Amino acid sequence: MKNTFLSIAIIFLALSGKSQSKEFAGAMGEALGQYASCKTVADMQALGNRFGLIANAEKSEWLPLYYHSHCYILMSFMEPTDAKKKDEYLDEAEKSIEKILALAPNEAEVYVLQGFCYTARLVVNPMERGQKYSMLSSQSLGKALAMEPGNPRAKVLKLQNDMGTARFFGNDPSEYCGQAKELLAKWDDFKPKSPLYPNWGKDQAEGLVKGCPETK
Amino acid sequence: MKTYLALILIALSTLQVFSQTAISGTVYDKNGTLPGANVYLEGTYDGVSADSSGKFSFKTSKTGKVTLKAEYISHKPYIQEFELNGKPIKLEISLEDEFVKLNAVTITAGTFEAGDKKRANILTPLDMITTAGAVGDVYGALQSLPGTTTNGESGKLFVKGGDSEESQTYIDGSLVYAPYSSAAPNMSVRGRFNPFMFKGTIFSTGGYSAEYGQALSSVLILNTNDMPAEEQLDLSIMSVGLGVAGTKLWKTGAVTATLSYNNLGPYMWVVPQNYGWVSYPSNSEGAFSLRQKTGKTGMLKLYSSFTNSRYTINQEDLNREGQFYDYALSNDNYFLNASWKSGLGKKWNIATSASFTNNKDDIAYDTISVDKLLCGAHVKNVFTNFYNEMVTLHIGAEFFTKTYSQKYSASTKLIANTFTNNTSSAFAEAEIYVSSKLVARVGARAEYSGYLRKANLVPRISAAYKVSKNGQLSLAYGWFYQDPTDDYLLYTNTLDYDRADHYTLSYQTSKNERTFRAEVYYKDYRKLAKLNSNAFYLPESYSNSGYGYAKGIDVFWRDKKTIKNGDYWISYSFIDTKRDYKNYPALVVPGFASKHNFAAVYKHWFGGLRSYLSANFKYSSPRVYNNPNSEVFNGEHTKPYRSVDVSWSFLFKQNIILYGAVTNVFGFKQGYGNSYASVPDEQGVYRSSPITVGADRFFIVACFITLSKKGEANQIDKID
Repeated sequence: MKNTFLSIAIIFLALSGKSQSKEFAGAMGEALGQYASCKTVADMQALGNRFGLIANAEKSEWLPLYYHSHCYILMSFMEPTDAKKKDEYLDEAEKSIEKILALAPNEAEVYVLQGFCYTARLVVNPMERGQKYSMLSSQSLGKALAMEPGNPRAKVLKLQNDMGTARFFGNDPSEYCGQAKELLAKWDDFKPKSPLYPNWGKDQAEGLVKGCPETK
Repeated sequence: MKTYLALILIALSTLQVFSQTAISGTVYDKNGTLPGANVYLEGTYDGVSADSSGKFSFKTSKTGKVTLKAEYISHKPYIQEFELNGKPIKLEISLEDEFVKLNAVTITAGTFEAGDKKRANILTPLDMITTAGAVGDVYGALQSLPGTTTNGESGKLFVKGGDSEESQTYIDGSLVYAPYSSAAPNMSVRGRFNPFMFKGTIFSTGGYSAEYGQALSSVLILNTNDMPAEEQLDLSIMSVGLGVAGTKLWKTGAVTATLSYNNLGPYMWVVPQNYGWVSYPSNSEGAFSLRQKTGKTGMLKLYSSFTNSRYTINQEDLNREGQFYDYALSNDNYFLNASWKSGLGKKWNIATSASFTNNKDDIAYDTISVDKLLCGAHVKNVFTNFYNEMVTLHIGAEFFTKTYSQKYSASTKLIANTFTNNTSSAFAEAEIYVSSKLVARVGARAEYSGYLRKANLVPRISAAYKVSKNGQLSLAYGWFYQDPTDDYLLYTNTLDYDRADHYTLSYQTSKNERTFRAEVYYKDYRKLAKLNSNAFYLPESYSNSGYGYAKGIDVFWRDKKTIKNGDYWISYSFIDTKRDYKNYPALVVPGFASKHNFAAVYKHWFGGLRSYLSANFKYSSPRVYNNPNSEVFNGEHTKPYRSVDVSWSFLFKQNIILYGAVTNVFGFKQGYGNSYASVPDEQGVYRSSPITVGADRFFIVACFITLSKKGEANQIDKID
């Protein structure tokens, strides 16, 4: 009889409290799997909303907020023309970043995301925002690298910024190719802290390497 | 048995898990269906995004009371409680627009705002710097906007039929008593402040808020930059001088120190000048600025500068034929500006500011010397209450003090005059959004001057209404008072304030980075100070019997879209104005007003050349001036003002910018009428000489270098 009660207790536990984290992992895993199938702004928004919903249910988790923000940043890049909409998406992304900074101020990934968001602001109007946001972006990425020197996302965004600047000033961006190739080669050496942790960026690194001359 | 019980329990729980409720429906807003809206049960993982036709459907295994939410960007969330019992739920959800101040209607009557990146402003801070003809002068840039008239021999702001003294400049809330550099009569002045200091500019050409007093025509509100982003050293090497600025940062603050020296000597030696310079204009300046964050939301700003400018010029003495004298000017200007802003809880903000000016002009010509000293201070405290998202209240109190003294000495006699005027004032204003389409600003302002022993109380009202998706109508009404000119107050304190009433109606429409604005206004000038005889030293020579009017139309068109990498604006103002003031014998057109004013400004970014080109054309129709030899007062006409100005900025490296500019490229002859002798010669004729410019064109070349630890900072916005 004692055993029965124990089994019942375990079952209840499994169904209530404990199941929450399983449900969280499951929901996050499922949502993360949908990234690849997002082809339009609407797809990306639906996915961002999904993460927003999880964030709402799990108020102490920063990762759903992270991906919510990430989706909205990507939306600003996917939106073809409307500058006002781009800024609206980035406003949403920024709101989540603010929340994460309070929840997990010691996560380097948060500053990577912040740097990414600043770059997105810059892209909306490079002429007017160039100076301010290139500086803010490089500051955030610098912070991330100081906290986690091996973070490949911080590195790839920094390389993107540097190569963009070089191109703008008529210099040869291929001087960064060595770094880009090295980053790509060692990409998989960096192990995210858990399967739910950010793991994007390899495509961008591949893109940078592809743009490099063959011989280098 | 034991196992059996456990199995039943498990079965029961699983059953519960799989008894699901279907929730479906459509999300709308006022424009139709709302694809992408997020619909979910609060605190659960159950929810979905509305599809491309606004439809949604999902299932939940939850039972009992749940809260359903539907959300979308810039809409108010929909919140509804349900009891779930397995029966499907179908919903039609309608989301209302959220009130977002940034997207709501704004009062634009008479106002040009450059600032905040997200608000759809007509101008950006960059525009203040990149307008070719301005050559880095804030006031010069404003003279390409409607409502202004260019007076080439003055350089100051003349707004909507108002004299230059009717415009005031405020930095971080405080009055700037001496905003312009000092110059000899009939020579153009510039603003004292570097346009790079400011992150935001509001130029109001009429109908402004109750917060601003002591200005009959316009206020220029400049807000300085917040924390600098990086430690850096800026070097400027120009054909007219050198400058260096260093910035040091710490966690919660920063300090910037600036030193500069300008001397027009080498330039004027190369480019022939019409004036006979004895000692070329030179200018030395040291400035210091401090930023310190206080608490969570507070920011303390301090700016202090000391400038000395001097020159000596040889001018003809019109009172004595064939005689010349040296006119020497030395100006010392000390300026201090401090401000502190902070939140007080969630609902309140406090802004305290203070400014101090000590401006001394020492002038010597012939056997005469004139010393003018202006000492002024302004203290202000404003509380802002965010009553709710629709209503904001401002309450403030101010104290102004100004002492002006003038010492005139000629061989044997010395005349010294001085006055001190202390003015206390208070204002209150409410900004009320009735909806995102309608806003009203209602305020009142009271002032008392201890020197004039006069008080005033004025209403200020403005409102804006969104008439269509992109268009809005805006109107402004108010009374405006200002002390009579300092030169009169030296001799009398029996005058009352000058007064102007403003009526402004404005229509603006913006779409796709194209903006059109048209404005009509009427200004009723009353009680203007008059000097009724030549005995300027007698108090009884003055009265407030002057009056006048100004009415006009301003049109503005800006298009950043049509030309790729190009951006242009066109501005036109028509002014009809007459006034009887100062020593005028009747109601006549004043000498500073041009009937037609036109400006076209074009800017182009050449990506391949990493160059920013800016060109503009300005035209002002002939103005009047008075010839004492003529029967008709203000009966003569000047030449029209015409100028084509060009500037070019080249980003040589990320941290090095090369800059060049030429004003009046085509060398149009500028003529601003004549100066006349103060007394007639033996034949009874007032001798004259034409007022003209130092040279037809002005050239400048410069190199700006920024050195920072990372070598990544640049002066990309330092291209003017």
